[in-house]
Amino acid sequence: MEMKLLTEHYHKDEFRRLDGYKKFGGYEVLKKALKMQPQQIIDEVKASGLRGRGGAGFPTGTKWGFLPKNNEPRYLLCNADEGEPGTYKDRLMMERAPHQLIEGMIIAGHATCSKKGYIYIRGEYNYIILIVEHALEEAYKAGLLGKNILGSGIDFDLDVYAGAGAYICGEETGMISSLEGKKGQPKLKPPFPAVQGYLRKPTIVNNVETLAAVVPILRDGAPAYKKIGTEKSPGTKLFSLSGNVVRPGNYEVPLGFPMKDLIYKLGGGLRPGRRLKAVIPGGSSAPVITAAEAESATLDYECLAQMGTMLGSGAVIAIDDSQCMVDMLAVLTHFYHHESCGQCTPCREGTGWLNKVVHSIVEGRGRLQDIDLLVKVADNMKGRTICALSDAAALPVLSFVTKFRDEFEFYVREGRSKVKGVSHAQVHH
Amino acid sequence: MFQLSQAGKDKILKELNRYEAKESAIIPALYIAQQENGGWISDQVIERLSEVMSLPVARINEVFQFYTMFNKKPVGRHHVQVCCNISCALNGGRELANQICKELKVGYDEVTEDGRFSVTRVECLGSCGTAPMMQVNDKYYENLTPESAMNILRGLK
Amino acid sequence: MPKCTINGKEIEVKDGTTIIEAMHHHDMHIAHYCWHPGLSVAGVCRLCMIEIEGMPRVQIACNTVVTEGMKINNTSQKVKEAVKWGLDFHLINHPLDCPICDQAGECGLQEQYMEYGKYDPEMAEKKVKKHKVVDLGPTVVLDSERCILCSRCVRFTTEVSKSNELGIFNRGDRSEIGTFEEKPLNNKYSLNTVDICPVGALTSKDFRFRQRVWYLKDAETVCNGCSTGCKVQTFFNKEGLFRVKPVYDKEVNGYWMCDDGRDLYKFVNREHRYLKASHREGSGWTQVIPGAAAKEAAAAVTAAGDKLALVLTGQYTVEEYEKIVSIFSKDLKTKKIYHWLNNKETVNSFDGLLIRGDKNPNTKGLLQTLQKHNISTAWSELESGLASGAIKTVVVAGPENHAFFKDIEEKVQLFNKAGTVIWLQAAKNPALEKLSGNAWIIPMKSYVEKDGTFINHAGQHRKFKRVTTVVSESLTLGEAAELLAGHQIMVKPESNLLVEADRQADKVTVEHRKKNEFVFKRGAL
Repeated sequence: MEMKLLTEHYHKDEFRRLDGYKKFGGYEVLKKALKMQPQQIIDEVKASGLRGRGGAGFPTGTKWGFLPKNNEPRYLLCNADEGEPGTYKDRLMMERAPHQLIEGMIIAGHATCSKKGYIYIRGEYNYIILIVEHALEEAYKAGLLGKNILGSGIDFDLDVYAGAGAYICGEETGMISSLEGKKGQPKLKPPFPAVQGYLRKPTIVNNVETLAAVVPILRDGAPAYKKIGTEKSPGTKLFSLSGNVVRPGNYEVPLGFPMKDLIYKLGGGLRPGRRLKAVIPGGSSAPVITAAEAESATLDYECLAQMGTMLGSGAVIAIDDSQCMVDMLAVLTHFYHHESCGQCTPCREGTGWLNKVVHSIVEGRGRLQDIDLLVKVADNMKGRTICALSDAAALPVLSFVTKFRDEFEFYVREGRSKVKGVSHAQVHH
Repeated sequence: MFQLSQAGKDKILKELNRYEAKESAIIPALYIAQQENGGWISDQVIERLSEVMSLPVARINEVFQFYTMFNKKPVGRHHVQVCCNISCALNGGRELANQICKELKVGYDEVTEDGRFSVTRVECLGSCGTAPMMQVNDKYYENLTPESAMNILRGLK
Repeated sequence: MPKCTINGKEIEVKDGTTIIEAMHHHDMHIAHYCWHPGLSVAGVCRLCMIEIEGMPRVQIACNTVVTEGMKINNTSQKVKEAVKWGLDFHLINHPLDCPICDQAGECGLQEQYMEYGKYDPEMAEKKVKKHKVVDLGPTVVLDSERCILCSRCVRFTTEVSKSNELGIFNRGDRSEIGTFEEKPLNNKYSLNTVDICPVGALTSKDFRFRQRVWYLKDAETVCNGCSTGCKVQTFFNKEGLFRVKPVYDKEVNGYWMCDDGRDLYKFVNREHRYLKASHREGSGWTQVIPGAAAKEAAAAVTAAGDKLALVLTGQYTVEEYEKIVSIFSKDLKTKKIYHWLNNKETVNSFDGLLIRGDKNPNTKGLLQTLQKHNISTAWSELESGLASGAIKTVVVAGPENHAFFKDIEEKVQLFNKAGTVIWLQAAKNPALEKLSGNAWIIPMKSYVEKDGTFINHAGQHRKFKRVTTVVSESLTLGEAAELLAGHQIMVKPESNLLVEADRQADKVTVEHRKKNEFVFKRGAL
């Protein structure tokens, strides 16, 4: 069932502290890695097939390989902004095992020849910031960070940067902008961060889970990692289960795990008398799938991509039949409208437009052409912007309207929800 | 007339040297200033920061207005932020927020008469497994019901 | 030097050129708002869409560098759809202000709408409300609702004027351009932001509501505010000049001009000009026709003999200097020609961008002419000559943009010592009332009313043509010199376009407005 490659010792309080972490094999892998050449580590990570765990699923080894082969100072940034609705796995990892992340970052820093790394943590995670800062202090004191780590001759500095409440800072170039002290607005690509990122220097941005996964990969070797999961999606992943299940939580399972097992076996299923209606498989930006589709879905990149959705951040949100899909879409469009950074026109105006149209439907003022309008607007927001927030805002709209069109049409015709029987005007903004 | 305390200025100067780019210190400086100004940031605060950090006011103001966690209006001593995003909404988060407003007799983004509470609705706080939940100033309070939420709030001075 | 094909036409470009730059250089039409050749690339309007063979999605032209063999087109259906929707997104919250907006007729949104617009709007929701009529500073007004957040003005104040007054505040569709309360938009280049704003969000307080742009003709000339000599475009009709905008000149001013230079058109319009010559003898002034006045003054000039002096400011064209200096030195046989420079201490100052301390456009031209005629004099000689009585008649070619000459009153007192002063000037100046003795004020043509050449601080020659005629009876410096020397010449007042305006000839066609970067072609209704 669960496979605790990363989370094996998370339940132990002492694992948070350096002494406890070391007790269970912590920093042994670092010692091994410091003796390897940077290219060897990159090759090992490439061979393991590790894919970015933040949402995009880009092969990590390949990303590291994009760095230019010169002496330019480069930076390693850890994306701990975790803003994707439904996701809370990085919080768990940094709370229970900050040293796992630190070890992973030092190894990654060595592999990418970076001398400086930053962990960008979202501002709302106040106590997490304190935990990570404390762990960094412990690491510095123990000679695991700074100059000449463990006598290897390798230097690496790590610091924490607190965000201030912006989902867009979870986008890699948005995060780089924020770290540079500007508004967290994404930058034009090209140039890509690996070539010109933080302060115009080569930069690698990785998610917390991706960097932590480097540790077991180097410890057990790439072939062992590849044996877990599926061929194109090797390894384990933490899935943040939430919504209408009885036992929501973070579960680490091998990729390829059946979605229904996650929801019913690990998650304890739905509340008594309730049936599953829909599942959002990878955070709010992933297109929704119906309960029927969820029956046969497995939690890996290919299966979900084939179904027209995506694994994303691995936040599985279960929606039961007591929920109104139109209402839930209104929650999501409000979110994207609030979080659009405002730089490029299609996203800035489009998120506002989508939000207004969906809200007029839930307030009972919808027109029949509004449903097709939503599809048209969302279609024309995709692929035309600087970053993917526009796509992330458009995909839920397209999927909700396509798969649950009957609920939308009912709401427009009758002015109230098919499921709840009333319009939701009083609950909304 | 808002003035930064000496301790505050020292902290900000430390932040200016901590990161590679001078502007990176703007976010930490805004946090420090917000705390000294009773939980929100006014025009005067921005001016003081511009003087202390030797950065143009327009740049500091841009950063200030962009991020949600910097308060543009006065807030209560306990700033209650209730998550209303998808996982919490599936578990009654929005109804919880309404209930809290009703019990505290205050509207959204307003401060109670005695200055004790202000309530606002926020987006995902990364606590979806323990929905519904709220954040009061720095602390998370999770797995709430309307009753447990009110008990917690009543206990806050 | 990669070669590429754009819309079927093969062109060769320099390494590192972006597609939009290539199209711009070859006069190919591509819709755009946020790109400007004088500013950094922002890529936020998402309108400059192009299709590149081999790439599935449409790309933006402003951030894509041309590579060898690229096949680009922006005429396919796919691109047109993308641009149409891009424009639609701009319009959904844009207010319906055209009837009261200054930008109408040269507005980026109007032009694109005529080309791509949907005539049946689908946006049925309420538009976002923002601040209207925001006072950004002494010269610029902002209307946030009209703003399309292209960020050109912000990039300008950050990169060009480096004054950092403007920023984009807030997030998403609540974003607004603005200044901070205590730091208004108040630098010497503020009005350039009004020029580059593609819509009517930033408007000039000076030009607001004064004239519709389709009633304005335009002509290029050279600014006469300082020795930089920016190339400018003046807008005028029969009522006079209305505004001045910069024109790109690679070697002189790039894409910009300063605010002081823009105000100079005010010295040209009729209400600020001497329409008739004046003659004082005793206590009162009498009005005389300029040509006649010059002939009368000629008598005083010849009577002066060698007690004649000529004072020149660096405000006239090279051709005029040639005329007047050769007449005075050869025909009138005087070597007492002096150069009036009003600010020796600050004359070489330079603010780093465009404004120079020498407020004369053609000092170099004057000095060159004086040198050619072997005239080298010092101002102290004039002063001692006036004090001793060796100089009894002074002919002064006064400064046109007299606002920058702080010492006019002082000079009037000085010249009064001579007894006879003939002052040649275009723009009205109350300080000249103080001329005493036997004095003439003869109106001159302003810089927009004549052809000529200015030589700027760097020695660059710039020829300009006459824009229009404002005061037809006024004289050029050359004509004045001839008449003062007693030569008989015919002074023909040119047909005064402003007074005898023929409505048909005055009609502004799209050719006139083509210099505006957003006006490509007239849309078909």
